[in-house]
Amino acid sequence: MNRKQAQELIANILEIPREGELRIQVNGVNRLGTRFNDCAISQNVLRQQTTLTLVARLEQKQTSVTINTLDDRELIKTNIESLFATCRHMPDDEEVMPATGEVIDIDEHAFCSTTDATKIEDIGAWAALACQAGTKAKIDLAGLLEVGKMFTAYGDSNGGFAHERHHRIDYHVTASGAHGSGWAEHQGVSIDADEVLTSTQRAINKCARAQNPGLFKPRPITVILEPQAVGDLLSMAFWYGFDQRAKDEGRSVFSHYDGDFGNLSLFSDPASTINPSLSFTEEGIALGKSMWLDQGEMQQLATNKYWAHKQDLTVKPSPRNLILSGAGTTLDDLVESTQDGILVTRFWYIRATDPGTLGFTGMTRDGTYRIKNGKVTNPVVEMRWNESVLRLLNNVVDSSEPIATGEFFPMAMPALKVENFRFSSLSE
Amino acid sequence: MYDLLKMACDLARHEGCQFADARYLSIRKQRVTSRDQAISSGSESDDRGFGVRVLFQDAWGFASSPNYNADEVVKVVALALRIARASALAPRAGGINWAPEAALRLEFKSDCRQEPFEVSLEDKADLLISANEVMLRNKTIKRAQGFLSFKRVQRWYVNTEGSECHSDVTTSESMIWAVAVGQDDFQTRHWQAPASNRGFESYSKQDFVEQAERIAAEAEQKLTARLAPEGDFDIVTDSENLSLTIHESVGHATELDRVMGYEVSMAGASFVSRDKMGNFQYGSDQVTLIADNTLEHGLATQGFDDDGVPGQRWEIVKDGIFQTYSSGREFAHYADEDRSRGSCRADHWSSIPIVRIPNLFLAPGKKALSPDELIGDIEHGLYFEGMDSFSIDQWRLNFQFGGNAVWEIKNGRKTGMLKAALYQSSTPYFWNACDASCDERFWKPHGVTTCGKGDPMQVAQMTHGAAPTRFRKIRICRGRDS
Repeated sequence: MNRKQAQELIANILEIPREGELRIQVNGVNRLGTRFNDCAISQNVLRQQTTLTLVARLEQKQTSVTINTLDDRELIKTNIESLFATCRHMPDDEEVMPATGEVIDIDEHAFCSTTDATKIEDIGAWAALACQAGTKAKIDLAGLLEVGKMFTAYGDSNGGFAHERHHRIDYHVTASGAHGSGWAEHQGVSIDADEVLTSTQRAINKCARAQNPGLFKPRPITVILEPQAVGDLLSMAFWYGFDQRAKDEGRSVFSHYDGDFGNLSLFSDPASTINPSLSFTEEGIALGKSMWLDQGEMQQLATNKYWAHKQDLTVKPSPRNLILSGAGTTLDDLVESTQDGILVTRFWYIRATDPGTLGFTGMTRDGTYRIKNGKVTNPVVEMRWNESVLRLLNNVVDSSEPIATGEFFPMAMPALKVENFRFSSLSE
Repeated sequence: MYDLLKMACDLARHEGCQFADARYLSIRKQRVTSRDQAISSGSESDDRGFGVRVLFQDAWGFASSPNYNADEVVKVVALALRIARASALAPRAGGINWAPEAALRLEFKSDCRQEPFEVSLEDKADLLISANEVMLRNKTIKRAQGFLSFKRVQRWYVNTEGSECHSDVTTSESMIWAVAVGQDDFQTRHWQAPASNRGFESYSKQDFVEQAERIAAEAEQKLTARLAPEGDFDIVTDSENLSLTIHESVGHATELDRVMGYEVSMAGASFVSRDKMGNFQYGSDQVTLIADNTLEHGLATQGFDDDGVPGQRWEIVKDGIFQTYSSGREFAHYADEDRSRGSCRADHWSSIPIVRIPNLFLAPGKKALSPDELIGDIEHGLYFEGMDSFSIDQWRLNFQFGGNAVWEIKNGRKTGMLKAALYQSSTPYFWNACDASCDERFWKPHGVTTCGKGDPMQVAQMTHGAAPTRFRKIRICRGRDS
């Protein structure tokens, strides 16, 4: 749905008589996911859907409904009527806030014309290329190549409007040998055959180096965490702690912590050239560049409209992407400067063990290697770790340039060199 | 409702497909959430559409649409075929071995005595806000929250083998939780009213109020609880806690598609290789784990699966020995089985069915045994209640689980509460350390509604269950520095 069509749809809905304020969100998805394993395509699924969410407000009462029919005016009218009827029965909530009424100019940073032109047959052919590379290398390959073409539109009865087309590419591939595996990904808003093959080859190379892992007795040691591991851990920590209201009310690690946060910068920016995102929220609030940690200094955390109003703060929406600054050292240089350490390709199944200290646990996966005297020497058996993100941030000693990562959430993360990272048990 | 689905299958057959099926789903959801003394949101959704899956020249194609009319059916079938042809660019060696199944005619309706969508918003708000008010009476509680969530899924299924099935399943789910804030810490305690395929009759205000008072007091206790000891201890798990351990270390580990490498790129593989069927000592002789997609009120009980196979009951582990897997029709042959276990489900009309964990539970102990007697045989140990931190490796071996409330056991009695306790083990070691489970009087089901699997991710639901169960000499670590 283009901007003009979205404007017309929203205008038509707003013409339907109603008794209060109405917010409208329209989300469209066209996502083809081609999945393969054992060097053969196992699933090939096209998801196409457009949803319409209507949010009704009567003073301090609010309720919403989502349907997936956009062309039946009578059905939409019936839904609006019953939505306001339900809304009348809602108890008052002092936190309900009026719609923005803001018209947002959009630059569509996450739109890519070549991705827009990608066809089903292109994706099948690229997945087949990956499978052929696995067959040639005599290594089992499993992965997903997903191309998502989306649009999001917002309108409200106070005059607010926004529309944006945005794309997501998720290619990740696991190469498995008899005694070890390797992994690689390509994230962002575009991909082509060469990039599929480059990532595939990286996974194959990782796999070749991961065979017959030796035992490393789990203990605190210097680690080099590749970008996926950094992103998965930091994004999890973000959702557990980076909320201003929780901090102000004592319900966050940051309510009780007065230590340091290292010296890196964590921010979000829809216009990121590495991994851009949608540039407004479902409430029709524009997203700009937001600093969360500025060279280790904590900034105002995510703040919704109610809390900003109550505490006289600036509204600072939760981000749609996360970017961690890096020092620009190459991954090879990080390895070269390490006398005794572990190189981690990726993490898996990260969960909080203690939100009060931002403590997390997780596993290494698909390529974990010992580093000795500046060289990757041998693969090691995958390990569990238990570590606090606060401690980790203070133990970062070097980092690379950020690159695109994030299967579920767009991020740009560097590799980090971290001292005294705590491994706790073996996967056996 | 069946006519257009049959038309889709006829078109696919006419195009030369080996197999095709078509599903139409109507999914209605409602969620009411509370924050302190307010209802923070009330939302509903009505989501309808159909999906067509085709097997063409040994390659799969799947397409879907929300627009259910004849013209759209023609388009979607053509699109599914186009996608299947793209899949055929990298075909599976040996093709697809699709397990035979007789044509199924089935009507299934879950037990729903009080239709949740007909219960007033005021009644739902009253349930949640009453619980929140009770929690907030405790002055350490700075945030009380809860939700009620209801779903009704009507599903029509047709395939090229002549199956015509319909199911109508209502699911209810709720949780309340309290956040206690102290001088230098905060702690959360929750209560989950068991999620199940039932209606609003699942819930009573008395339960909510009683549980609210208990969890508020326990959240306060957690603030001043001492840190858990570290080392090897005997532990006892309650039904909710062990349900998650069953889910992660048995349920996912015994999905046959995972064993065969179909999930390697996302959720991982499994240590339960096929050579372990019928001989692997998964657990002690106290451990019998039963899969049952006919379990009354079970979240995975829906009459038939999305391969057109009726729900079944089977043993995954019997008296400690691994028996067999959960499967779908594409995978049954890998276990040398003639028939699918009927455990292939899709989470939406736009999703393709994948092998999912069935309703899966630990059979209660055969001898009369109460929780007090179970705990009474422990000199120094820990009692884990409720779900908390959970993590497991990609082979389903190394795991680490916490509890939402953990007590120290000393000289056969539950004593003070502990903070940040985690048990860390390896799946076969853990289940072989099981030496007793309470009898059926103490067995409780526990619903899981957020099981993620697949790539792209799909979310499924299933019921687990157990009686309080004891495990000897399990490694305890903690999630917080001393």
